[in-house]
Amino acid sequence: MAMMPKRVKWRKSQRGKIRGVAQRGNKVAFGEYGLQVLSGGWITARQIEAGRVAATHFLRREGRVYVRIFPHKPVSAKPLETRMGKGKAEPAYWVACVREGAVIYEIGGVEEEIARGALMRVANKMPYRCRFVKRRHGL
Amino acid sequence: MAETLTLKAEARDQIGTRAARAIRAAGRLPAIIYGHGEGVQTVTLEHHEVEVALEHGAHTLHIELAGKSQQCLIKDVQYDHMNATPVHMDLTRVDLDERVKVTVGIELRGTPKGATHGGLLDLHMSAIELECRVTDIPEVVRPIVTELEVGDSLLVKDLDLPEGVNPTGDPNERIVTIHAPVTAVSDDEATEESEDGGVEPERIGRVRKDEEEGKSGS
Repeated sequence: MAMMPKRVKWRKSQRGKIRGVAQRGNKVAFGEYGLQVLSGGWITARQIEAGRVAATHFLRREGRVYVRIFPHKPVSAKPLETRMGKGKAEPAYWVACVREGAVIYEIGGVEEEIARGALMRVANKMPYRCRFVKRRHGL
Repeated sequence: MAETLTLKAEARDQIGTRAARAIRAAGRLPAIIYGHGEGVQTVTLEHHEVEVALEHGAHTLHIELAGKSQQCLIKDVQYDHMNATPVHMDLTRVDLDERVKVTVGIELRGTPKGATHGGLLDLHMSAIELECRVTDIPEVVRPIVTELEVGDSLLVKDLDLPEGVNPTGDPNERIVTIHAPVTAVSDDEATEESEDGGVEPERIGRVRKDEEEGKSGS
């Protein structure tokens, strides 16, 4: 099931701007290998779920997949053939805001080649260019 | 222990973001040397040489500055937002027979028996803090995990470290655990309800009456 918050304070949010680069969440922290986005923007809950499913299928239940982002932001969309105006539309889907450098998926417990294959499949499902990264041990 | 590389440093008098950016643009890396009661020295190092040293797992460096050579321990390395390129390095002066605390990476050797039987290898620690002499710093700690079955754990006290090298943390801390295979929800079941936007999340706090009516009316 696509991710979305269980409880929210406000149903609708403004679009906002994504400024700067990832100052945190930019390191592989849970698994051994990760997928890092090379540009910032929105990633929808469906895209996140598609990536998770692709990685899980590729790994055939081996290893562990970590999803490092969560779609906190509701996006409104007006229905088709509706006139403009009459207030803000109802929330249609949820997105995660990511900045350049954010590690969005991680994989642990498998060999590098398998992790690379899985994360490359995930990268194909992402709306931005991504790169494969390894955990930095020590310095 | 990795071979100690010798790097030529140049003193720098300009500090601050703009000066550091200019140094990086010129292919050098801003660094700082401190410790042993001597003054703090801001220097620049050849960027490529630093990257080579880090790639080879170096923990100590010989720094040649103004014709004087000094043994330094790499205390900290700052990376850019992509966690790829070093942007600054902290070095501390050390004596060869001094005991220091260093963080060394953990690299597992072998495939655990439990993992071949469907278990899941969970790495809790990717690096460990050790206390040892400067000359004895291991490049990386390589525990052999081939004998671990499902449910087994490798603890810090189980590590086979060289003489004189001691872990500083809790000896009962786990490094690796082999978990039993998890019967996860199948992806087909999981994707059944993937229609997002169908259910709205619960509202926190008091909802205005007119808002609620408007919602039910629309």
